Amino acid sequence: MDAAGVDRAAINCVFYGDAARGNDLVAERVARDPDRFLGVAYVTPRYPDEAMRELERCFDELGMYYLKLYPDYLGRPIDDEAYVPVFEWADDRGIVVMSHSSYVGEADTLTAPSRFVGLARRFTRVRWLLAHAGNGPAGQAQAVEASRSCPNVYLETATSFGQHGAIEYLVQGAGSDRVLFGSDMPLMDARFQVGRIATADIPEDARRKVLGLNAVRLLGLDG
Amino acid sequence: MGQIDLDFKPSAPVFDACVALGRRHDRPVAVDTLEGTLEAMGRAGVGRALAYSPHAAFFDSEDGNRLLMEMIAGEPSLVPQFVCNPARDDLNAFATEVAEHGVRAVRMAPMLHGYPFQEWVVRPWLDWLEETRVPLWLPASYESHGSTVDIDPSQVYETLSGRPNLKAVLSGVHYRHVSWAAPLLRGVPSLSVDLSWLYNTGGIPEFVDAIGAGRVLYGSRFPEAPMAPVLYYLHRCGLSEAALTAICSGNLVELLGME
Repeated sequence: MDAAGVDRAAINCVFYGDAARGNDLVAERVARDPDRFLGVAYVTPRYPDEAMRELERCFDELGMYYLKLYPDYLGRPIDDEAYVPVFEWADDRGIVVMSHSSYVGEADTLTAPSRFVGLARRFTRVRWLLAHAGNGPAGQAQAVEASRSCPNVYLETATSFGQHGAIEYLVQGAGSDRVLFGSDMPLMDARFQVGRIATADIPEDARRKVLGLNAVRLLGLDG
Repeated sequence: MGQIDLDFKPSAPVFDACVALGRRHDRPVAVDTLEGTLEAMGRAGVGRALAYSPHAAFFDSEDGNRLLMEMIAGEPSLVPQFVCNPARDDLNAFATEVAEHGVRAVRMAPMLHGYPFQEWVVRPWLDWLEETRVPLWLPASYESHGSTVDIDPSQVYETLSGRPNLKAVLSGVHYRHVSWAAPLLRGVPSLSVDLSWLYNTGGIPEFVDAIGAGRVLYGSRFPEAPMAPVLYYLHRCGLSEAALTAICSGNLVELLGME
């Protein structure tokens, strides 16, 4: 983070079957550096009762800032009914829900950005944050379309594809207020992901918004 | 905001080791003209680029190499790299074209052209590359028709470790390749690597530590990827000015035998 110039990071852990274990790790890490890290909750509807209790715990006790979902691990699409109780809870609270989003072909549809349109229209108080903004070019086109259709859809920039013109396309399509920098650390290097924004062919004020100002606004942080 | 440089320009001369020039037959590319490529180079601070024809890699090597020379049209900042298909091309004819056009580097794409990178297929071609001291680029993977095909690292190891005088470059190493790329590079001292898809955390400093800055080359994968972000990343790895200069341009100049 220091090498890349990243002041703060929202961190999550989706790597335990027992989601609470990962959330505890996140909370412990945030507690050690509260000025640098924000906690992000993770739940899975594979264990529905646990998921709802864990949501309450994460937001009411652990002070998490938003919710991360990873439907590929569930093996069901993001708009599957299994998620509805989670979304109803999130809608009631008006929180940010980030989900992995990807559409790189017909074998990759569980989190295709087009699926979020119906969700964003049904659960209007949720701010939907599409991690990776659909990943490849076909997914990005869907992500931009979703953001244009729904004012509560936001796009996050991290990807391993790194294709030419991606940042410019997202900002021109969704608007500079609705694109948020993400690094995908520790898989991807934040220096590279920052470089994609810092050197993008968009106005400087747009780069500043994407690099942090939009996240400050979306999450209600102090600038 | 943290220490982010919104006016970034590279501090060393830059020679991009991985640029494709021209159209593909199977899908559009973001920039497919000489003018667009030169404009992108100027914007990113890239002075020179080693360029191959994607048509040569993805469809017809002989035809694509001819298209490449037509497109470059004597532009001095673009150095041509020819693609060969050892399973089909005529080596003598290819060697003649290479000599005629002063080509300094060759690229093979075994997974695209459907042959194993093994001596019983590529021996005469590798013999010729060794004799003429022309370096060979081997892409770690290619995306084609919506899927990614990877090179077989065992074939690369077995074939190149028996040819210490053949200079080669592993291109487009991706985060999925890092579990075998560093051991491969350690095991084959004549093999260098370009940074054109190395986006994983700490990937650049780890490669520099593993094999030394003298075998690491800046490359972008343009126009599939933009030129500047890898340069930005490279300039924030705490490298010495000498190492940075070598990676940005010096190592490629030396490999190609240029001044």
